[in-house]
Amino acid sequence: MMELLLVPFMEAAVRTATPLAFAALGELVAERSGVINLGLEGAIIAGCLGALVAAGLGGPLLGFVGGLAAGAGITAVFAYFVISLRTDQILAGTAVTMLGLGLTGAIYRGLYGSGGAGLVLSTIAPIAIPGLSAIPLVGPALFRQTVPTYALYLMVPLIAWWLRNTHAGLALRATGEHHEAAEAAGIAPRRVRWGALLFAGALGGLCGATLVLAQVGTFSEGMSAGRGFIAIAIVVLGRWSAFGTALAALGFGAAFALQYLFQALGWSLPYQLFIALPYVLTLALLALLRGRATAPAGLGS
Amino acid sequence: MTGDEALVLRDVRRCFGRTVALDGASCTVRRGTIHALLGENGAGKTTLMRIAFGLLQPDAGELRLDGVPTTLRSSRDAIARGVGMVHQHFMLVPAMTVAENVALGAHGRYDRDATAARIVAIGRDSGLVLDPAARVADLPVGAQQRLEIIKALAQDARVLLLDEPTAVLSPAESVALLRWLRRYAESGGTVVLITHKLRDACAFADDVTVLRRGRTVLAGRFNDLTEVSVVAALVGDIESPRETPGVGAPGGAGDTAPVLQLDGVDYLDARGVMRLRAATLSVCAGEVLGVIGVEGAGQRELLRILAGRLAPTRGRATRPARVGFIPEDRVHDALIPALSLTENFALAQAGSAHGSLPWTRLRRATEEVVRAFDVRTDSTETPARELSGGNQQKFIVGRERVFGGMALVAENPTRGLDHRATRRVLDEIARSQESRAQAIVLYSSDLDEVLSVATRVVACFNGTVREVPASADPTDRSPYTRALMGAC
Repeated sequence: MMELLLVPFMEAAVRTATPLAFAALGELVAERSGVINLGLEGAIIAGCLGALVAAGLGGPLLGFVGGLAAGAGITAVFAYFVISLRTDQILAGTAVTMLGLGLTGAIYRGLYGSGGAGLVLSTIAPIAIPGLSAIPLVGPALFRQTVPTYALYLMVPLIAWWLRNTHAGLALRATGEHHEAAEAAGIAPRRVRWGALLFAGALGGLCGATLVLAQVGTFSEGMSAGRGFIAIAIVVLGRWSAFGTALAALGFGAAFALQYLFQALGWSLPYQLFIALPYVLTLALLALLRGRATAPAGLGS
Repeated sequence: MTGDEALVLRDVRRCFGRTVALDGASCTVRRGTIHALLGENGAGKTTLMRIAFGLLQPDAGELRLDGVPTTLRSSRDAIARGVGMVHQHFMLVPAMTVAENVALGAHGRYDRDATAARIVAIGRDSGLVLDPAARVADLPVGAQQRLEIIKALAQDARVLLLDEPTAVLSPAESVALLRWLRRYAESGGTVVLITHKLRDACAFADDVTVLRRGRTVLAGRFNDLTEVSVVAALVGDIESPRETPGVGAPGGAGDTAPVLQLDGVDYLDARGVMRLRAATLSVCAGEVLGVIGVEGAGQRELLRILAGRLAPTRGRATRPARVGFIPEDRVHDALIPALSLTENFALAQAGSAHGSLPWTRLRRATEEVVRAFDVRTDSTETPARELSGGNQQKFIVGRERVFGGMALVAENPTRGLDHRATRRVLDEIARSQESRAQAIVLYSSDLDEVLSVATRVVACFNGTVREVPASADPTDRSPYTRALMGAC
């Protein structure tokens, strides 16, 4: 009985955590280079639409490429303003988020008309890893997922390793901590930040693509639903480390998934409570962890 | 003989907006020598070296490395051609380890063990030893400076540019560094040393270039020059040294009530280390209490408790409501670089004043400070960051003198100042002693400086504070040096 309840809950937790983790890992890289990318929400929604349009033209693989490109594209606008024009990061980020939310809605209505779901795709199917998925409880949760989740499993240790064990990773961290010192060492901080932001945008786009192609199957206006801002909180909770970020993302996935568990248990709490839960959790955890985080010293400058 | 010249800068011109920083600056550095680059604050020494390191591009003029005309687009170009720079404000990432800081700027995979091995090898060859795994934020200043040099050596630097390297070091550390540079030059390395300390330059450098207001006014070998001619070139006109009362001068304690008083003060820092134990002292108006101590001996905490910046863990500190404080690190602790001089001036009383700001009056008072302390600036509305380090310091000294009221605490107030500015600051301190206006506490890493103005001296050693009895022979320095080592 317990297993009947827990397995779907854990599966849903990992599934919901996957796009959040993509966005948060991108944000992690941006913040380690010293930039707070408040335009992340815009990158995610752009990724949603980009993935839908591209997948409609050429299937799911092209869909993911479209999502990555759309996310990176809109974040390039942010990077241009922040790095090249030196505008304020908070202002530019908010503007890019608004731009993304507004533009995608307009484009979607222009392409598919304004009434309801214009284009519905079948979502990609989960793949069970033989052997591993048979492990009781965690097996199905971790190893009966879609391809993006498996990509995430590879990406987390890879980013952690890259940050720690490559000169490029070192240059990125130095730029975020003390960009004058990085420059004195022969690093070009602007180039580093451009790279970091394009990567962050692409991962934001991947977050959106995963939402559309692996979970929802269509686009709706504002479907990113604050995930960009939650991802920023996840990076803080994850203490700016790749594994910490992945773990924090899983925690938020679980908070989202609780609503399925409670529904299955037959608890008749108002559903608005569950929808609000992850956001309340964000605020609560941020309040609890205040002052204990170790942000890059040059963040936001 | 051009083959002998490691670095040549000729007729360099560089402007920042309307300000001409360099015009007609030249410098020829022979391979295997220590070259002293001297000049007053704002003379353009740092700008010239930043050009040699590729961080700035000249508007006009020529740069040659090893006799080859060169254009440096960035510091990366300079590093690739064997130039390394140790900046006055260290270019280290505090959150990273020694090894990570050394590896910065390279490509490919970062191999921690290989970098650590390289640091150990450099330590063996050069005598500059550091733990590769140590976090930079935990290193004392002297070790951070070693790391800056190790960084340059790890990039195979053959020319080292050092900007005021001894400004942050204790006297013993300074001598060790200069001796090390001597050996480095003798083994074929080339050193450009920006310094204010003429004595160091004379003792350790082979050649000298003197800049004044962005122009080279003297260049040559020390052997061919007299110290007087170098000083004359430095300051333009020579003022005779002021007679200062010195230790043991009359008019000390006793006849006025104490202004600053500590009674059995202990201080534990955030990590629980006892920085100060049972410190007891009092300072009256008209007194200048000189504080001496090697780095980390407790003087930093002592001064901050006297200035009201730290609260004692145990014991009692009595002080007036407002104590003027000149902290050592002006850029971090005393100024907001983006704000104008007038705004920075107003900040000194921001914690106690209310209501609207009387800008006209503040601007006039700021102008007064700028004039009285010879602060070189376009106007009082110039952002503080556009002033050279020495002029920033002169401004802070002036401001704290105005606002200090009954007491002034100064921590290395002449750090980074040239001869004239140093004398000016010390004169100001001596003058308030004569007028008995203020109780003054002065810490300086330069013993001579302390002795030239202090009426009494206390020595910090390992957290204890002890008065050093004045010696019968005023030229006898041994009581002070003994006190620095912890002996009575």
